[in-house]
Amino acid sequence: MPEHKVGTQEEFDAAREQLLAEEKQLTRRSDELAKTRRELPWLPIEKDYRFETEDGTKSLADLFDGRSQLLVYHFMFGAPYEAGCPVCSSIADTLSPQVPHLKAQDVTLICSSRAPLAKLLAYRQRMGWSFPWVSSGGSDFHRDLGFANTEEELRSFLEGDIPLTVTQNAEMCGTDPVGYVSEGPGLSAYALSNGTVYRTYVTTARGLEQPAMSYYGLLDRAPMGRNEPPDEPLWLRRHDEYGTT
Amino acid sequence: MAGHPVGTRDQWLAARTDLLEAEKAHMRGGDELARRRQALPWVPVEKEYAFETVDGRKTLADLFDGRSQLVVYHFMFGFGFRVNDETQGCARCSFIADNVDGMLPHLNGHDVTLMCESIAPLDRLQSYAERMGWSFPWVSSLGSDFRYDFGAAFTDQQRTDGAEYNFRRYDKPVPQREGVSAFALQDGVVHHTYSAYARGVEPLMSAYAVFDLAPRGRNEAGLDNPAAWQYRHDEYQRS
Repeated sequence: MPEHKVGTQEEFDAAREQLLAEEKQLTRRSDELAKTRRELPWLPIEKDYRFETEDGTKSLADLFDGRSQLLVYHFMFGAPYEAGCPVCSSIADTLSPQVPHLKAQDVTLICSSRAPLAKLLAYRQRMGWSFPWVSSGGSDFHRDLGFANTEEELRSFLEGDIPLTVTQNAEMCGTDPVGYVSEGPGLSAYALSNGTVYRTYVTTARGLEQPAMSYYGLLDRAPMGRNEPPDEPLWLRRHDEYGTT
Repeated sequence: MAGHPVGTRDQWLAARTDLLEAEKAHMRGGDELARRRQALPWVPVEKEYAFETVDGRKTLADLFDGRSQLVVYHFMFGFGFRVNDETQGCARCSFIADNVDGMLPHLNGHDVTLMCESIAPLDRLQSYAERMGWSFPWVSSLGSDFRYDFGAAFTDQQRTDGAEYNFRRYDKPVPQREGVSAFALQDGVVHHTYSAYARGVEPLMSAYAVFDLAPRGRNEAGLDNPAAWQYRHDEYQRS
């Protein structure tokens, strides 16, 4: 760790108090954005998606499981993968403990991936998670939200310099870069009202940090921050693989 | 939930794209504050604190456990929300602690030790952790000034005379409040680098950030106490 500026308690307090005012502003801004999200128009889902689940084939409406709100994490685990994406796995580590609290407020949270169900369930057992995980491999569910790509669509990406993190993650998933980035991460939200399913919200990329990567929120408060040098591949591993790679 | 405006695909996309710009600006604001936090001066911790842990008595430096950064959540025990006796942890702190085990391997793998601290006998913390199914390190600061000095507990004197919480003066502070503190170990010296309190611990309440994306949000507006819906994760069936 490089030498850091050391100060007196008074110097700390003065700097901290100024920062606090800005932290409060950001919190309030976060509240405003949450309000704006709730005010988005709802989009009726007209397509009949089908999912393979532990309880047989289900529709999107079935996945609400008796609640009025549904959140789906689009977990990168395509048919060619031998194991789920390590970053999505860290996201699932974060989301899994929220499930009982979300249920209590009428929200069902599940994961969806395009690999066959048996592969997903075996991996879920290895990782010790308990949320429902469905296979959407037989439908356009991920594709319609932009979380599944064809090789043709990926051509320009694959012809450029492939980021080290992509190569590393592809290898950790037992596939190649094109297999890996054929899947994309994302979170989508739905409401069920009078028998109709509405899509209410979709996010991806850094939009996943606050809801699903709480370790970043904590690192943003730790002395060295996220500490992710741009020339190094991402530090994240599956929770049972630290110290082994 | 009836009566929500319904849109076409184009309307939805236009509204979502506008919001995305605002979300990105907010994200960059968060990055900037993270940089500002890291630039805060570090304050050397000169006092000796002792903690009871599963591996015996430890100093603050020991708690780093071989890493260079330490983050401590000041967990209220025997006091707080939905606490009936001294064998229970605060239900709101439990709502936060539910996140710790999921984050722990990732933070440990990135040079950060994360733990909880409470003013209670270690065996009570252990029993409660077992009930809740938690395995993160949880140390007892009973008998130490640690939690008081870092602004998340108040002595009888302070409760009479007033004290600061979250950098603001309270005339009659309650015995304990929530908080999180960060420390760095540099050249063998522990430095205090950051503390946050009140809504400053919300980034550790992942469920809230998830609700913030759900159709009905946190949905606490009609409740006398915003947390009225919250129970310990093994108590929801009862409610």
